[in-house]
Amino acid sequence: MAEKKPLDDAELDGLFAAARGTAPQPSAELVARVLADAEAERAAIASAVPPRRRGRVASALAAIGGWPAAAGLATAAVTGLMIGFVTPDALEDLSGAYFTASGYQLEDLLPSYGDLLGEG
Amino acid sequence: MPFDALNDVSDEALLIAYGNGDAEAARALTLRLTPKVLGFAARMLGGDRAEAEDVAQEAMLRLWRQAKDWRQGEARITTWLYRVVSNLCTDRLRKARGVGIDTVPEPEDGSPGAAEGLQQAARAAALEHALAELPDRQRQAVILRHIEGLSNPDIAQIMDIGVEAVESLTARGKRALAAKLGPKREELGYEDG
Repeated sequence: MAEKKPLDDAELDGLFAAARGTAPQPSAELVARVLADAEAERAAIASAVPPRRRGRVASALAAIGGWPAAAGLATAAVTGLMIGFVTPDALEDLSGAYFTASGYQLEDLLPSYGDLLGEG
Repeated sequence: MPFDALNDVSDEALLIAYGNGDAEAARALTLRLTPKVLGFAARMLGGDRAEAEDVAQEAMLRLWRQAKDWRQGEARITTWLYRVVSNLCTDRLRKARGVGIDTVPEPEDGSPGAAEGLQQAARAAALEHALAELPDRQRQAVILRHIEGLSNPDIAQIMDIGVEAVESLTARGKRALAAKLGPKREELGYEDG
């Protein structure tokens, strides 16, 4: 039964060394697949980063609806100021005609106005 | 950072750099770790190349996903990867029970023409066949210890067992391999003992 004798340690070590020397190398396709996964995960990590804290101006803007809302607000404010300063004739004619035609005075519209003046 | 400059950077530093968005770090890690992962998976799966590639890709994917939560100094990346590959291979082997030893493909001849290269290939093939006949845990311990060259404490961590259990598994595995391959001594290029 001499041929059934098990390998000794040195012989087995020779086999292990052979196995180390014939290790499979990754194909270019596998490397490409692994790199594609890495890139996809990198993008996922980047998009998962929490947004920076907002400053006071940004918070106020966000509260009213962002820059479009701020633009609308600014337009309204400038228009109001302009109306106040310029007082377009059309507006005065309209209010003047209304009051004279109806025969009402300011006291009639705000009954307590005179009392308030009297009380000082 | 130029790619060559990454050769001396540790696996862990590269993984952290990757987690911070460094694409070159991912490339360096891929080229460094995929061969190890693939080689171990192929041996665990009895040389099934396609299956081993899937396992290697999956293990590397889990590494990428782990990058931002990696706890520095807790485990070596290679040890962690071997553990992932072990688990993936064990799952696949369980599902694929019944695959015969005849399905184990012959390894590709790395350097045809040279007699020594052929003998190395023959020895590697014979070992692969004999390894495939071992119980899973013995095969895993023998591969990690004697082919991948890991220490017993590292293997204990990978296999989630004690160091003594690793020693016992490798000793039994080696005895079984020696007995299976003894009759092939001449084919393997060894003198009759």
